[in-house]
Amino acid sequence: MTKYQSIIAIALVISPPVFAEKEFEKHNNMMDHGNGHLMDMTGGMVMGQNTDVLPGGCDRIAATKEITVHAGHKYAEKFPGRMFAYDVQEYQFEPCTKVTVNFFNDDDVRHQWMMHGLPKYIYPKGMFHMELTGPGKISGTLIFPPGDKTYLVHCDMAQHMEKGMKGQLKIGKGDGDLPSIPGVTAYVIQDDYSDSIADKSISDTVVAEITEMKRQVIGNNSFFSGLTVIGLAIGLILAPLLARRFKGMTPAEVITYIFDLVKQVVDVIVKVISWLIGLVKK
Amino acid sequence: MQKNPLGLLLGAALMLMPVLASAVVGLPKTVEVDRGKVETVCNQNNPEWREAQTIEGVSMQESLRCSPDNPYAIAAQVKGTNNLSMEALMNTHYAMDGIIKKNDMDGDGDPDLIIIKLEVAELNGHSPDFAGVLPTFDIAPGIQPGMWVFAPKSRGMATNSFVGTDANPLLRAPSPVIRVEQGDIIWIQLENTHYFPHTIHLHGVDHPWIDSSGEGNDGVPQTSDKFVLPGQSKTYEIRPRVPGSFVYHCHVQTHVHLAMGLVGMLVVEENRPNNWVQTFNVGAGQVRHPSKAILEEYDSEYDLHYHAMDKELHSVIQKYNDPRLIARKMNREYDLTDSTEDYHTLNGRSFPYTLRESIIVAEPDKNIKLRVFNSSGELLAMHTHGHKATITHYDGVEHNPIAQITRDVYDIAPAQRNDLKINTTDDGFHSYGEGVWIFHDHREKGITTDGMNPGGNVSALVYKKYLNEVGLPKTIGESIAPLFTKAFHARKVPVWQNIDDWNSLGEIDAEGYVAPPPSVAAAPDVTQGSADIETSEDNSFRNLVFGLFLGIFAYLLIIYREKLSALISSLKGGS
Repeated sequence: MTKYQSIIAIALVISPPVFAEKEFEKHNNMMDHGNGHLMDMTGGMVMGQNTDVLPGGCDRIAATKEITVHAGHKYAEKFPGRMFAYDVQEYQFEPCTKVTVNFFNDDDVRHQWMMHGLPKYIYPKGMFHMELTGPGKISGTLIFPPGDKTYLVHCDMAQHMEKGMKGQLKIGKGDGDLPSIPGVTAYVIQDDYSDSIADKSISDTVVAEITEMKRQVIGNNSFFSGLTVIGLAIGLILAPLLARRFKGMTPAEVITYIFDLVKQVVDVIVKVISWLIGLVKK
Repeated sequence: MQKNPLGLLLGAALMLMPVLASAVVGLPKTVEVDRGKVETVCNQNNPEWREAQTIEGVSMQESLRCSPDNPYAIAAQVKGTNNLSMEALMNTHYAMDGIIKKNDMDGDGDPDLIIIKLEVAELNGHSPDFAGVLPTFDIAPGIQPGMWVFAPKSRGMATNSFVGTDANPLLRAPSPVIRVEQGDIIWIQLENTHYFPHTIHLHGVDHPWIDSSGEGNDGVPQTSDKFVLPGQSKTYEIRPRVPGSFVYHCHVQTHVHLAMGLVGMLVVEENRPNNWVQTFNVGAGQVRHPSKAILEEYDSEYDLHYHAMDKELHSVIQKYNDPRLIARKMNREYDLTDSTEDYHTLNGRSFPYTLRESIIVAEPDKNIKLRVFNSSGELLAMHTHGHKATITHYDGVEHNPIAQITRDVYDIAPAQRNDLKINTTDDGFHSYGEGVWIFHDHREKGITTDGMNPGGNVSALVYKKYLNEVGLPKTIGESIAPLFTKAFHARKVPVWQNIDDWNSLGEIDAEGYVAPPPSVAAAPDVTQGSADIETSEDNSFRNLVFGLFLGIFAYLLIIYREKLSALISSLKGGS
């Protein structure tokens, strides 16, 4: 507790007063909260700082490098359809390299440079994270593990990565590309840019739909349907047969003949039914 | 013996017919729908957060609801992030510079320069990388409309943890209630972390039209203000002389930006000595550190922010990633004048989630202050069961005390505020006694979630006696557990499943069901209007006969073609 109180006391002494105007903050006097967690009262933060612990599999620090990363709205200019970006989208380092990242925030709002997937026994939650609450510069150092792997670097503020603040960092050859890196890889889910405002007015569509609905409900009321065609065919086939049958008959004889035919058909049906009834009775 | 197998077969079929027919006249059977996983009704209970306590000198009232506010966050909201220990601040999601309080200029024991930072966060937004939304904020189980909110300036990730996509507790609807003291110098810094331009308009709050540097201070792009563009920041300066319940909202494309959620309450508390007010009330609801003036007259205070959303508007940001495309869909294609509000929320959530965070906890013979704000697009008709409340203030202005109205439905137009006084004296008028008394919008769509009930902005005033150990009301009605399922909100569970032993109003399983022919032919419908659309009739026999005649006619035409042509030529010759 006294440790924290003294930290706060020091912080209050050294931190410049807060002004309404955004001033460029050089976060050079951060306090170490243990586990590589550095923080100051003006909104600078580094988590996962590691300047000396060698990751397992590294027998020495392969190289010592320093990079500069800028974050801001203006870096999205070269990527139409993006709103936030870093000035660099891709990085490559040899395994076991020690890197100092100088992170600049060129906007008047908060931004982050966050890396996931690092070994958790060195980096709490497997993360190296730098954050600036406004315009300023902050530096942090880490040592990469061995092996070919591609790491995501991004700003985790709502929609900042989705709208462009995303990059990838390859150790060795990396293990593939990540999606949606501005200027490098495509989205997994593409936007549909087709114009959705139909030229046809909505009333036209409704009229067409109602007409179709009505047709389905009422059915086909016309005299011409599939059955008309079937009837036509039957008529054409039957006509010559009937003509042969009725050849030489008078109209009266024809009618008598038809009646006789119908009577015979009915007789057959009645016989069949009574036969069935007989069966049932048995 | 087997001389007539066909006859036997037909006879058997005939004899079975009555049995078959009886099977066919039955109606489809009832089935029970699996409602899936039922969430724990109270899912995030931090018992130690519920107690009355003091953190670094900041005292706060108990909060007996299921999801109480984080006491460390309240300490930061009262003292300012600059006056709180780093240790305490690490228990919150606040940025180091989130709330700055300093300069006791009048020497009355409280700070008089307050710097409040607001970011703009998108909830339930699109991702180009996977088919889902983030950071997520469920207004009801599985209901995730895309939203924009002003949020206190936070630090770290937008999500609560590495696993899962749920938003951190500072990123939530509604935009937080801002509380300031009358006469203080307030700088509200809008840090536009969003991909569209925004501003802040201080609705009803005493503010000069231009600030001390001559820049616009009213938030209206058409008259006073430049857009605050993505990545930019802008400070609004106020020194409010008049107390009351007011509003702040974005004034860029207000018709949609306000509906998207960029609107919150701004309360100016009366000036008192040593009056440290709770600068933010995140998620609204109970004010755990009420101001001095409120405690003079009331025992507790609640902020109630009602909102409503059209799911069509709120899905735009979930369908597209390109901000230009979102702007076109939202501001050129979407037409607010054709909209309907589907989701009705109280303090950012709909029933049943309101039971976790937006209940009012009452005790007999107390006075409770409610500040009720309607940011939906339509009139709100808030109704309190078991109580008649007195409307003390309209839009932050006190109503003449002898003319104040006590009633049980409070009509609040869009953007209006009513301050209500609930007196829990059991006199048959102010209160009908202890219980679990719901309060809700009485426009019935307001008690639905996308037209489905129970849902919407229903919550409850619960007497302590009826509160269980996790802060949920001890209800004696039907179980509310089925409402805590995604299946219910996906409209899959029938409204009255398992209301009795044999599930008489359960789900119908009509698969493979064929309706039998009706027993008696239905009498023709001769009522007026029934002929608007003619019923279908079977024309097949008519058409067959018609075809038959056509065929015969054609045949006759062919065989008598010579006679016909002779007839035609003779007619020609005759003329």
